[in-house]
Order: sequence, then structure tokens, then C-alpha cells
Amino acid sequence: MGLKDAAGRLKPKLGLAFGRGDADLARRVEALEADVLELRRHNVRLAEIADVVQELLVPLASRDQARIDEAIEKFSRSL
Amino acid sequence: MVATRAGVRRVDDDGLALWGFGDRAVDVLFDGRRVWSFWLERDTRTSLPGARSIEWPAALRKFLDGRSRLTVTEHVSGRVLYDQERAFGTADTRIEMVGRSGAPISLDKSNRISPTFDTRSPADVLPLLTAISTVLDAIASAGIDAFLAYGTLLGAIREQKFLGHDSDADLAYVSAHSHPVDVVRESFRLQRAVQERGFHTYRYSGAAFRIDVKEGDGVVRGLDVFAGFIDDGVLYVMGEIAADFRRDWVYPVRTCTLEGQSFPAPAVPERWLEASYGPSWAVPDPAFQFTTSDRTVRQLSGWFRGTSTNRAAWERAYSGARGKLPTAKPSALARKAASYLSSGGTVIDLGAGRGADSLWLARQGLSVRAYDYVPTAAQAVQQTALDEELDLDVRMVNLNEWRTVLAEGARMARVDGPRVMIARHTADATNRFGRQALARFASMSLRGGGRLFLDVWTGPGRTPDRLKPVPIDEVARELSAQGARILVTRERPARAGSQRSSRGRLVAQWD
Repeated sequence: MGLKDAAGRLKPKLGLAFGRGDADLARRVEALEADVLELRRHNVRLAEIADVVQELLVPLASRDQARIDEAIEKFSRSL
Repeated sequence: MVATRAGVRRVDDDGLALWGFGDRAVDVLFDGRRVWSFWLERDTRTSLPGARSIEWPAALRKFLDGRSRLTVTEHVSGRVLYDQERAFGTADTRIEMVGRSGAPISLDKSNRISPTFDTRSPADVLPLLTAISTVLDAIASAGIDAFLAYGTLLGAIREQKFLGHDSDADLAYVSAHSHPVDVVRESFRLQRAVQERGFHTYRYSGAAFRIDVKEGDGVVRGLDVFAGFIDDGVLYVMGEIAADFRRDWVYPVRTCTLEGQSFPAPAVPERWLEASYGPSWAVPDPAFQFTTSDRTVRQLSGWFRGTSTNRAAWERAYSGARGKLPTAKPSALARKAASYLSSGGTVIDLGAGRGADSLWLARQGLSVRAYDYVPTAAQAVQQTALDEELDLDVRMVNLNEWRTVLAEGARMARVDGPRVMIARHTADATNRFGRQALARFASMSLRGGGRLFLDVWTGPGRTPDRLKPVPIDEVARELSAQGARILVTRERPARAGSQRSSRGRLVAQWD
């Protein structure tokens, strides 16, 4: 198989690079980067929720007003 | 390119003109004291080959009125490129580069004015050394071995002292976790452990916080604590490092000497420094700039950042007014709130700024909770309220951090009696995430009949600094998504001929 044939077989597989061009590929990479960023951003938010639950849920469940006030005050001070 | 000798062709009120090939760090000294450093090629403009010019940094320019002996030297070789008595501006006095506290200042590597360590005496930095020990101990009590990092480690390993051109102190640790969620939670926990020792702390991101330390003469110095973790053989450290690394290059920690005291360092500090500063870490560079790859920035930002958007800009905006009582008249929104609560109640002033509305409302006999990203802006108002025995409490809320919104929302949810929230140019001072948090905070605070009065720039046209117009319908949608019943949306266009943006007013209620 000559080089030309090999290139012909590869062409459909590398359609982006050979066919629709770099602009399309760049757009898809950009969209992919945005998607990854969106997913990565969940990390800090999930950690925040877990922290609030861990620090405030137990005192809130106690239904002891003074303890609740103290827990919220202490938590807010540490932010 | 071959490095040649370099020289200074001209110095004037605009900047320096130099010549030479080959990049190198250059120091600028006023009356023998370094105040600025730059790189001959990287930081200058070139017109003809070898002819370079650089302007005085904005932060330095305001001091350039008077006389000084100006010296320009190569940082590493010490070769003097220029050394003459010079006059700038019109004053006939010596130029004094001192900060508000009177302490000598210079520019750090980010060209920000700061009391860099080369201006400090051993007595000045002693409280910082003590604070480093206390903070290391607090972190150790939470089960983590932290150590000196970044410029502080570099200074200790290379010179056994703080780097002269550095302006803060840095600690780091490598978490046993390898997932960013766990790393963030651990950083939250460590901040609490440090804060419980009585320090004032300040969170930068999910993986870094600062401790404010008062030095001997009252200068406040930042001590930063950065989280790191290793995942699949790659070390990530907030906020610049991603490098192939081994845990046994970090732990067990060894000791190093800083300003005559012993402190922990990574097991192989040379490896750590190379990961931080590249293979030339041993060559002094007072104008060092990180060349962190785009991918590393994307990774660290995605995992950890986004919790303090624009905060520094708001702090700068209010820094000049700190301690001064605002003289502004009450806003239309404050008057509306007072009239709505004519029989008394609580006003939550969200985005209170310097607190002019809050103080006026408290003086009308209302209970006021003044919330802001930068609560120090309303310090004078808080003091006046204390003096006048008014029910006014200034508190911090960060709309980019759910934890503050949820904790303060829980606090406000328990307030009895009629409640009103005013949000005057708060929706346009934050981003979409912050507006959604505003809606969440309002929902938590106002459920059961509370009312929100909100003003926002809606565009098109000019808005004041740091405020970005938002369509009123978008704000209404975000509030409705949190259960609000929208009672009024109104837009008032700018006066004919004015360049100003239109304004929107919104009233909402949570039943």
C-alpha cells in the first residue's frame, strides 16, 4: 500500500483535521475545556456543603438554642 | 543570545532607558535602598536592537517628587550600571519611600508596594517567626505536618533568612488525600484550628488561606498556608505547582534554619524548590515571575478558585475610607424599607458598603444587620452604633462562598418579627453565582412574609466602577427560582443625553 492509500484510509478517521478543519476542532476543544471546568468547580462546592453539614447539623439537631447560636457564631468566625 | 554588558542611557520622570543584550535581574535603589527590580529584557520595551526602556511602575511614580541618589545595579553580579544624585518633580526634599505606618516600603515581585523584608529589623520580624511556630503547631494538632514553602523556604535554604525582596511568609503541606473535595475540606478544618489560636484568618480559595500577623512596629504581614496533594505521581500545590513528585521527597520533614530558628522543610527541599521555581531556583531573582502552565492554572482554578471573585478590588476601593464615617444621605431604598417597617422590625442591608444606609436605618429605631464582602468598610459605622447604643451589627457575607451564605442565612432565618432586605447595587456587584447566592440568602432570611427591595444597574450605558449591568428580568428569574413572588419590576432610563446606564428596581416577597 502506497502512502497515498494510507492517507486515504486515515482521512475519514482524522476527519476533523483533514476535513472540517482546525476551527471546528478548536471550537470542540474549547467546549470540552468549559465542560471540564464546570465539573471541576463542583469540588469546592461539594466540600462547602459537607463542611456546613458537618459543623452545623449536629448542633442544629440538638434543638438547644444557645448551642445553635454558639455553633453558628463559631462557624462564621472561622470563614 | 550572548549576554553583553549593560548600561543605563537615561533616567527621567517617565522611567529608565537602558542598553544591553542578555536577560538578567536589575535592582533600582533610592538613597542606597532597593525599591524595585526588573528583568533587562523580559520587562522592558525595545525600539532599536539592544536599546531598552521601562516606565516607573505606577505604585512607585507617586513617590517621585524630590531628590535621591539613584543607583541601578545588576542583582547577581552587583555591577553598578548607574549611580547619580537625581531630582524628580518639583520638591527639593529627599524622596522618602514609606508606607502609611511610616515603615519603609519597596515593590515586591508583583510590583505592589509592601514592607519587604529587606526593610525590617530582627525585632520587627520576631512576631512573624513566633506566629509561624504557633501556626505550624496548630496545624500539627490537626494531624498535618506543614513546612516552609515558596519564598520562605527558598530564603531559608539559600540564605537562612527571609528573602529581602519578599513580602509575605508561606507555609504548605501535602495532604494524605488525593481528591480535591477532601483537600478543600481539610483546608477548612485547618483554618479553624489556626483561628482557634486567636489569629485573624482570611480565605483566598478552597486550598489556601492567610493569617494576619502584626509585626514589631504594627505592620501587618501575611502568613499564607497552601494545600498540596499528590495524585497519580503528580504533586499539585496551590497556587502554582504541578510536577512529577514522590511523597518521600516531602515526608518525613527535615529541619532548616530561618533567621536563627529551626523550622520544618520538605524532606528533599531542593526537589520542592525546583518544582516551585524551576532548575535555576538557586540563582537570586528579586523580580521572579511564575510561568505556570495554562493547564496547571486551569486545574487549580477549576478545583479550588472562584470563592473570592473581585474581593481584593473591593478591599482596595474601601481602604482609603476605613475609619471615616460616611456622610451620604439615606438612599431611596433605605427610605422605602423604613416606611415599610414603620412599626419596627429588622433590616438586612446586603452589600452595605460603608454603612450609610445601615446607620440611618438603625437611627430610625430599626434592628439592622449590615452584610458586606468587606465588613471593615463599615467599621466607623459599627463604632458609632456602639457609641449610640443602636441595634446594628456589621457582618461578613461572601456571595461567592456558600458556607457564609448558608451559615448567615440560618442565623437570619431565626430573626423574629417583620423583616426587610435591601440590596442596593449588590446584584450588579457580583457574578451570576453571587446573584444566585443572593437569592438563596434572601430566601432563607425572608421566608414567611419578608420583603426584598433591590436596585440594580440594567444597562446599556456607563455604570460606576466594579458594577456590571444585569437585565432586571434575569434578576427576577434568579429570585423566582428561590421561591420569590415578584411584586414590582421597574426600569428607569437614564436622563436624555446622559451616558449613564438605566436603573432597575425590584420588590419581591417570600410568602
